Amino acid sequence: MDVNRRDVLKALMGGSAVAAVATAGLPVAKAGKPESFAVEPDALGLMYDATKCIGCRACMPACQNANGLKPDTGGSGGLYMQPDSLNANTKNLITLYTAADGHERSFMKKQCMHCVDPACVSGCPMEALHKEPHGVVGWNPTLCIGCRYCQVACPFNVPKFEWDKVNPKIVKCELCRHIVGTSATEPACTKVCPTHAVIYGKRTDLLAEAHRRIKEKPGFYFEDRVYGETEAGGTQCLVLSHVDYTNLGLPKLGKESAPAQERRVNDFVYRGFLTPVVVYGGIVAIVRNRWKDHLKHGDKPGSGEAHEEEKRA
Amino acid sequence: MPSEAIQTTDPTTFRNGVDRRTFLKVVAQAAAAIGLSGTVAAKMIAAVEKGARPSVIWLHFQECTGCTESLLRTSHPGLAEVLFDLISLDYHETLMAAAGHQAEEALEVAIKKNAGKYILVVEGAVPTKENGIYMQIASKTGVDMLKHVAKSAGAVVAIGSCASWGGIPSADPNPTGASGINQILPDKVIVTLPGCPANPYILLGTLLQYVALGKLPELDELGRPKFAYGRTIHEHCPRRAHFDGGRFAEEFGDEGHRLGYCLYKLGCKGPSTHASCSVLHFCEVVDAWPIGLGHPCFGCTEQSVAFRVPMLKPAEIVRPTPPATYAPVTPPQGFVSPIATGIGGLIGGAIIGAGWMAAKKIAQKEETAPATPEKKSDNSGTSSKE
Amino acid sequence: MTEHWERCIRLKEPLKTKPFLIFAGLAGLGLLLGLYREVTGLGYVTGLNDGYSWGLFKNWNVTALTALGSGGYAVAVLAWIFNEKRFHPIMRTAVLTSLVGYGTGMLALGFDVGRPWNFVWLADPRTWNHYSVLWEVAVCMTAYFMLALDVENMPPFLEKLYRSDDPAKKEKALKIFRFMQKTFPFGIALAFVLPSMHQSSLGSLMYLAGTRVHPLWQTALLPLLYLLMAYILGFACVLLVLALSSYAWDLGWDADILGRLAQVMSWMSLVWIGIRIGDLVNRGVVGMAFAFDKFSLYFLLETALVLLPALMLLSRSQREAPGSLFRLTFLTAMGGLFYRFTPTTLAFSPLGDYRYFPSVAEIFMSIGFTALAVAVFLFAVKTFAILPASQGKIAAEEAMRPFDTL
Repeated sequence: MDVNRRDVLKALMGGSAVAAVATAGLPVAKAGKPESFAVEPDALGLMYDATKCIGCRACMPACQNANGLKPDTGGSGGLYMQPDSLNANTKNLITLYTAADGHERSFMKKQCMHCVDPACVSGCPMEALHKEPHGVVGWNPTLCIGCRYCQVACPFNVPKFEWDKVNPKIVKCELCRHIVGTSATEPACTKVCPTHAVIYGKRTDLLAEAHRRIKEKPGFYFEDRVYGETEAGGTQCLVLSHVDYTNLGLPKLGKESAPAQERRVNDFVYRGFLTPVVVYGGIVAIVRNRWKDHLKHGDKPGSGEAHEEEKRA
Repeated sequence: MPSEAIQTTDPTTFRNGVDRRTFLKVVAQAAAAIGLSGTVAAKMIAAVEKGARPSVIWLHFQECTGCTESLLRTSHPGLAEVLFDLISLDYHETLMAAAGHQAEEALEVAIKKNAGKYILVVEGAVPTKENGIYMQIASKTGVDMLKHVAKSAGAVVAIGSCASWGGIPSADPNPTGASGINQILPDKVIVTLPGCPANPYILLGTLLQYVALGKLPELDELGRPKFAYGRTIHEHCPRRAHFDGGRFAEEFGDEGHRLGYCLYKLGCKGPSTHASCSVLHFCEVVDAWPIGLGHPCFGCTEQSVAFRVPMLKPAEIVRPTPPATYAPVTPPQGFVSPIATGIGGLIGGAIIGAGWMAAKKIAQKEETAPATPEKKSDNSGTSSKE
Repeated sequence: MTEHWERCIRLKEPLKTKPFLIFAGLAGLGLLLGLYREVTGLGYVTGLNDGYSWGLFKNWNVTALTALGSGGYAVAVLAWIFNEKRFHPIMRTAVLTSLVGYGTGMLALGFDVGRPWNFVWLADPRTWNHYSVLWEVAVCMTAYFMLALDVENMPPFLEKLYRSDDPAKKEKALKIFRFMQKTFPFGIALAFVLPSMHQSSLGSLMYLAGTRVHPLWQTALLPLLYLLMAYILGFACVLLVLALSSYAWDLGWDADILGRLAQVMSWMSLVWIGIRIGDLVNRGVVGMAFAFDKFSLYFLLETALVLLPALMLLSRSQREAPGSLFRLTFLTAMGGLFYRFTPTTLAFSPLGDYRYFPSVAEIFMSIGFTALAVAVFLFAVKTFAILPASQGKIAAEEAMRPFDTL
């Protein structure tokens, strides 16, 4: 080890010079855009009240039609339109939870939760998954490379992949963003729901409605809380049910989203990309010294004598 | 006579004699109509041929006689066959010719003649307030009459919602204290056939089975025969596909209504109503039942629904049916091929084995061989001969 | 009985030996299956599903095997930053293992992604998601493979070019070499920063999966643990490759170089174990390690596989005996690979009842990609002067070479 004072100083100077250039050139790198992780005031979402759902599945074919998806014949032994989980042909699914004793039951509508701070968007390398206006999580086919990191990252196991296609797509609910505002005023599922078990609106309004229902019937809903208010940093699709939410396939999640935690770790290490630049500068300085030294001994690098010197040093 | 346009009654009803062929047909039809098997039909035929027609005593209380009226309109078998061949209707206030004292006498005779064997069919709710004074026949209250006739009955059948649990007379505020006969006869096994009216085939089936097999059909906890009340209307509704497909009539007369869409949003009580109307229409007329005619089921058989829940209020789905077709919250997914696991295991083993062998060989070679360059084989060398 | 490796030599052996043909055949099979995957779809070839959407390709060939391919990075840190000059003779072997290791990873990644044509958008910075760890991995790995590793692997190629009879080629080789001499420090510094970034980011990848990864593995320190493990596995890989080459081609045994590598590896393993255990204690999940469910057994196995060799390698006698050195390094590599693999697959539980085991075709593709790396390595060591040898084995005409400095 013969890193001397001069090396270190040079390294730091070189590093900061490069860092200055880099930060000027890449103003967005590893910083900025914090506003996209707060709840948008006009964020749109759904609220699903499992106690109102009658399991008619009207929302499923409506979703299928609105999104141009083929009828699903894959699940439940090849039955027509009886998928057993979300898949590349099913963006919306009514499942039924039955307790072991057979008495406690609840439906559950599975679909994208449209997180306020979605792990899929945070993980997507190409911004193929992105936040649309009103916080809707959309997918852009022209950017997606099919890496499926969104599937690994999503805590709700929502994005699905067309495994049997050469040109596979990521399939997930996009809150009917292609028709809402043009040919329709609300998503297909909320439009056809006969009991208004799933309703569409601004997240703030939906939350108020959820709390109103909880207040109206204290002790009726599970733990008197609405799932999605704080989970994973909040979701724009909210769920109310009388059974334990974990039984409905909704995981127990902390208030801080995984992307936020990861950003904290990354920002700590990368410091707005400053760290790699400084380290790079430092290493360049050190290696240049070594290199000059190395070139001097051009003919005999790592010779026996060198070894002896090393050992004595 | 029935009109030419809508023939609701089979012409055989108006014949006097019945040949054997027709008779066999009638019994088989009666058995089939209520979902009993051919062997049961044979037993019925045998029983009826022996002359063992069940004696039936039919009492009316607070009701509209609708159940009797619908019984009169059956045609397979027709009323004549029912009356003359299948049952022996010994006392029926609507259908008998006798009146006044004659009628009372006939009742007493029938009770005595078939004591312990006759079937008592009750139509209508029994008023219980003020000691039952709201209904009296021959100075006897309904309660007394019922208790008297039921005492030596072989079986008691409550036909219609009124007799089953009170029906219309028991609707709020229930001024007469109308109640089902199970309130009056708490110790008796009562076959309750709710409905407004009850489907006559359910009665026929129950009676014939009692005669042929000597026992009542299997009953649920409310005394309803399971063969008729074991399912909800919703489970066999001909419009079910529209429910599953999310196609609903939004209001009476709209396009969806005219196209025969699901009536759930109009307040159809099918999902919470246990009855067989959806598979056994009334009086053999196609679609002669509410939903078939475009009106929501109003839950006439259900005590908690009929005359209590507003007509247009959507019903509760008592049994999301059949639950197996809903996806579970966590379905098993993925496929593990045993061949692949075998190959994976083999490869893992091979790598570990190879590592171990290599270590052994390296130890043998490097630790024993002297490290003089001259001893090295020709395999390694320089590129000088290129 | 030890020798000093001082120069790099080319193996005189003919290329088409039996091992080479076997590896090349496996590689061909893998590539054929890959072709089939390209015209059908992932579902037809792999056992992947919507729960376990990352399988053998990403979790084994990329996450685990590129750690094994970190040899060039790890040894270079010793040689250039810590100035341990004795490692220069094995640098060529180390950077070659990195090249083929990363190559197989990149190849597997290419077959694994569903819409590879959209990679062209990586050229447009507007589409970059700077928050994405995967973006960082993709960019850093590509840059490392395309720029840094190629520069590092250039000298043997230039040497070959220089020795050709065509004077124009000779001149070209010299020209490139002179340019490289000036820019080499910048390239090599890139070869430090990029792997540090993406090897740690491979750990961050799983950090985003949050509660879906078992608490024994899920920690904010995943990037650090992954990075350290990349060092350990890099050392292990170079050690194993050199030991096997030495055995196969009689290169002799430089106990000084190999022993020192093993020593550094064992220190790093102990540091790694220390951080790992400390983190478990800090998070209060250390009890889970002794629950003796399957996760606990995975944890104990991988910890034992890393810890025991590390402790034994602290002893000089274990390091100096080639047999035990190889055996212990092999165990470390197994444990390390197991660790790099576990959080992504074995300790990963998607919501719901999902099962995954690679299909037969998937296994053979994965093996094929790995075999391709070995085949390329065999080709390279028989074509270029890469493997180290002692002074005595170097022919006179090879002793003076202009590119020896690299």
